[in-house]
Amino acid sequence: MTFFPVRKEITRGAISIFAGVALWEILARALLENELLIPPPSSVASTFWLLLTSGELNRHFATTATEFIYGFSAACLVGVVLGYLMGMYKWFDEIMDPWMAALYSIPVIALVPMIIIWFGIGIFSKIVVVFKITLVAIILNTAAGIKNLDPIWLELAQSMRLSSWQTTYKIRLPGALPFIITGMRLGVGRALLAVVVAELMASNAGLGYLLRDSSETWDSPKLFVTVILLAVIGLTSFNLIKRFEQRMAPWRQTAEWSADS
Amino acid sequence: MNEDRRNLSPLLLRLGSVLAGLLAWHYAAEVLIKDSSILVSPLVVLSKAYEMMIATGELYPHLFASSVIFFYGFVMAILVGVPLGFLMALSPLVRDYVNPWMTTLYTAPRIAFAPVLLLWFGIGAGSKVAIVFLGCLFPVLINSYYGMRVVNREYVELARSYRLDRWALFRKILLPASVPYILAGVRLAIGRGLTGVAIAEWFGATEGLGYLIFFAGQTLNIPVLFVGVAVFAVLGILGFEIVRRVEIYTTPWRGQAQGG
Repeated sequence: MTFFPVRKEITRGAISIFAGVALWEILARALLENELLIPPPSSVASTFWLLLTSGELNRHFATTATEFIYGFSAACLVGVVLGYLMGMYKWFDEIMDPWMAALYSIPVIALVPMIIIWFGIGIFSKIVVVFKITLVAIILNTAAGIKNLDPIWLELAQSMRLSSWQTTYKIRLPGALPFIITGMRLGVGRALLAVVVAELMASNAGLGYLLRDSSETWDSPKLFVTVILLAVIGLTSFNLIKRFEQRMAPWRQTAEWSADS
Repeated sequence: MNEDRRNLSPLLLRLGSVLAGLLAWHYAAEVLIKDSSILVSPLVVLSKAYEMMIATGELYPHLFASSVIFFYGFVMAILVGVPLGFLMALSPLVRDYVNPWMTTLYTAPRIAFAPVLLLWFGIGAGSKVAIVFLGCLFPVLINSYYGMRVVNREYVELARSYRLDRWALFRKILLPASVPYILAGVRLAIGRGLTGVAIAEWFGATEGLGYLIFFAGQTLNIPVLFVGVAVFAVLGILGFEIVRRVEIYTTPWRGQAQGG
């Protein structure tokens, strides 16, 4: 369903962005005297440059990235294993199901204060937050993938006399891959939100910290730099994983936006 | 191919799992940790819930404050999201111009906008409604757009051969065909709206469920924290269930939902 970028679309998109930024600059300069409410793009850009060259941005970005990467990869490992077990064994599915439902329906934000009490304000609590969010998405999708496997493939495996281990890594896991990647995609968006929330609540470094710091000191240009940076990170990671999804499972049609994150 | 060797009934397994989990929780709280500022037994949480809901009723003002904010943001998101999604589906021009802004807003972590909205709308209800609105908007908008885009060609051709005019085409074919998608979007919006409420009430609120949780976290009041989290979970499940019922009722033919 992706309408691949036709040229007209790109032109219109570029015009739209450019006009929007120009309008923003003009209105901010003409109508508002101070930069508190809406700083003009030029001052946001110069603040960005300042933060970049001073290395401040780098430090915060590195912290958030570290938290994200550790939590995300741990969740992928554990999630695929648990999801596989849930897909394979009905009894395990029954045991896990009430807990998964509970974890799934509690908003992330509500859990963050508790996780911070348990794991402190350092990066470990953020890793746990990212881990939890991504884990649920990956477990549920892996289990669905394993359950929805085409029975013909399993018959094929049987008639080829594949061992159960071979069936797992030659048939079941590749068959469930598109589902697993969908879980990862849903996880990325949520994890990004959650890590920023956790940093915003209690931390001493990271983009969420920068967000809180700049909003508490009424430093609007810095606030806007952070917001725009987070938007760019969200956009980039979203597109990367969508590409990845199309490559790994080109037969699967996905919408140009997924309706959840 | 499920190896259902242990022939236990599923209900028993579920119940057992929940019971075992609660027992382990109780044991961990009472025997292992013994520190009520870290973990308390589910029994303590339960009695706190009883106290807040029945004995003192202190939960209700918070619940009410959050509901009002949720309601306004949610309804506004539907009122704006559905027409805008339709407009984008029907006019490529609108779509191309709006798309880059929307994609950016949509893929950015929503929390990032909270301080900005706070700056613009103040710490009153305005900024909170705006945060919820922003959270609910995209699932509704995207699903309305998507629903209208994927309407079966044959229906449209049928309408053409009956010489329906544009309005009738919209009213009789396009709109009903996109209802399941819109409802799927609404269902997702409930979860995101609840998260939005929690985020919104962190910043300068004096009541509401988000405030309750946040304040309990700050003061290490674990029983209240657990009650708050549980209320959020119950609301999430409840909202989800309501929309599912509406879905079954309004669209017995059922469409494929987007996202998960």
